[in-house]
Amino acid sequence: MQTATGTLSKRRRIFWLVPLIALALPLLTNPYTQFIANAMLIYTLVTLGFSVVIGNLGQLAFANTAFFGIGAYASAIASTSLGLPWLATIPIAGLAGALGGFLASAAALRGIRLYYLAIVTLAFGELMRWFYTHAGALTGGTDGLPVPRGRDFGLALSSGTVQFYVFLAITCLLVAGTVNLLRSRIGRAIIAVRENEIATASLGIPTSQIIVTAFMWSGFIVGIAGAMFALHTGRVFPESFGLTQLIVNFAMVLVGGLGSVVGAVLGAVALTALPEYVRAFPGMEEIFFGVIVMVVLLVMPKGLASLLARFSPIFQQRYHRD
Amino acid sequence: MKFKLKKLGLLVGLTLAATGSAAADETTGLTDDAIKIGVMGPFSGNASSYSKAEIGLMAYFQMINDEGGIHGRKLVAVQEDTACDPAKALAAAKKLIYQDEVFMLHGNSCSGAAIAIKPDIVEAGLPWIVAHAVSDTISVPPVKNIFHGVPTGNTNGEAMAAFVLSKPGTKNVAIVEHSNDWAHSYTNPARAYLKENGVEPVAELVMERGQTDATAQVLKLRQANPDFIIGALYEAETAIFLRDMKKYGLDIPVMGTAGTDLENTLKRVGDLDTVQNYFVLHSYVDNLDGPLLKKWADMIHKYYPDEALTNFSYISIGSGVALVEALKAAGPDLTRAKLIAELDKIKALDTGILSSPITWSPEERRGVKSSAVAGFVDGEPTVLKAWGTPY
Repeated sequence: MQTATGTLSKRRRIFWLVPLIALALPLLTNPYTQFIANAMLIYTLVTLGFSVVIGNLGQLAFANTAFFGIGAYASAIASTSLGLPWLATIPIAGLAGALGGFLASAAALRGIRLYYLAIVTLAFGELMRWFYTHAGALTGGTDGLPVPRGRDFGLALSSGTVQFYVFLAITCLLVAGTVNLLRSRIGRAIIAVRENEIATASLGIPTSQIIVTAFMWSGFIVGIAGAMFALHTGRVFPESFGLTQLIVNFAMVLVGGLGSVVGAVLGAVALTALPEYVRAFPGMEEIFFGVIVMVVLLVMPKGLASLLARFSPIFQQRYHRD
Repeated sequence: MKFKLKKLGLLVGLTLAATGSAAADETTGLTDDAIKIGVMGPFSGNASSYSKAEIGLMAYFQMINDEGGIHGRKLVAVQEDTACDPAKALAAAKKLIYQDEVFMLHGNSCSGAAIAIKPDIVEAGLPWIVAHAVSDTISVPPVKNIFHGVPTGNTNGEAMAAFVLSKPGTKNVAIVEHSNDWAHSYTNPARAYLKENGVEPVAELVMERGQTDATAQVLKLRQANPDFIIGALYEAETAIFLRDMKKYGLDIPVMGTAGTDLENTLKRVGDLDTVQNYFVLHSYVDNLDGPLLKKWADMIHKYYPDEALTNFSYISIGSGVALVEALKAAGPDLTRAKLIAELDKIKALDTGILSSPITWSPEERRGVKSSAVAGFVDGEPTVLKAWGTPY
């Protein structure tokens, strides 16, 4: 019989094995496939951050693309206006995203919940998009803002391969950080709010603050993903953070598995890679994307993570949403 | 542990060395019987109607192939979808350059997507003819391998303002636009041209995409009482704007962009009365159903029988004609450098479809420097040089 500690230890080993194997990935790529691999790392964080709110906290929300945009613009503005190296803009993007998380969820402190809070987050996202477009002096308006890709602390960040290693390190740190957060008292409180907020409050847990904390952590992770996206594309445009992006992010969380860390990785990887295979059929991408999402959710309503969990108990997660 | 770390370091080092960017090969994408050309466009997404520009271009390539190709080589188009999204466009460009290994790139609707991929294409060094996106940022300042084959935003904006001022007695001009780069690429040069000619807009209004009512804008315009309105709006919003102008009895001419089609706008609003004072930029030598465009319409329908033709269907063909001229001149021993040199020799090329000729040089890569206008004259769509002056 396998002990809980043994399973946890195995899970930890697997957690570190995946990025170690990934270190060799650039040997097999060309600049195009490298670009896609880098996008997978970015979307892993985007999905993970989104999943914390809609999966672990159980709050329907639409502000994810706002956090993504805030991080991207914070990084681009800090690079271009303040002349900071890109690596130094990462904490700025994370903090800006966390601030965005606070602003989007501040209504929760006044007792706003569920669909009402969801609408507030939607309005926040739209407000941010309006801001990117109209604050031209700061954001470059509709022409976007270029992101300088020079050498940062000896790293040639214009190279897709170097970007990959930097993104991989950041992604590993944030995934590990999220796993630890979810295991902590705060994480358990987040799950408890999802399961029964009144019961949680009766235990003396300040549920409103817990909701805001989950949003802020989500904003922090997704904000950093935004900084990575800014470097990845070399220029940030308002249209990158619109409704289409939100739908794709939503699909990644659902396909991976609501509230599952492994699912966030799987959903991001699957829905970044698979549409690339239908490039040969122009105009079919949207149909293909829709069919994939429907098929996965019909066959595996708990997402791809549940498929792995079926094969091995080490992939079973306590925080996964049933 | 030390040993493992060393191994890991070696692996990373080898990887970095192995994936360093290689210099572009001069004959990549060429075989004895084919020239591989990457054609990028928004084949999906909410701007997919622009992909008609790429369909027209590919029909032209097929016609050239049916006529025997160029120096025994067929033009093989490799399509890639950008969805008008900068990140997707980057993936598409990288795939065409590094995986499909095309000889050159041609096409591209959507300025945002084109601006995003520009640095990668400059670095890769392969020739790129921009056949639809209009932003001047793409070809200004000029770089060695980028050629603009359509009137750019500056040219279009100036042409719009010039037409507006060609109407006798025009002193007050108003601007209604979307708040996006597409609209600004028309209205900013138009503003500059108006200013040069001593005209300051009497009203500058925004109508957002997806807006279904233009009452607020129309009422403000009634107050401002302009002689002419410059409208940088997509087709759906243009129809709404014209409908509401009629509803509130505002009988002022409106100058629209190349992003709207005169006949389509008529179809959308349903009556000639509403559009009889509406003018659009028109980059062609004739009306869409005129005799000079018929051979191009027939060509598109030969290869794409179900294709519904609009203003966009023809826009990329002119730059295709210029490409074929340059490929012929470059001779059978084609290289990327030779093609770029021959494209730079294109001077005042009458493409038989664009209303203005194409001229390229190393100092000026915006090849098309003016645009005509189309409007209804006596109920018939007519191409105009200036107010009351047929093309």
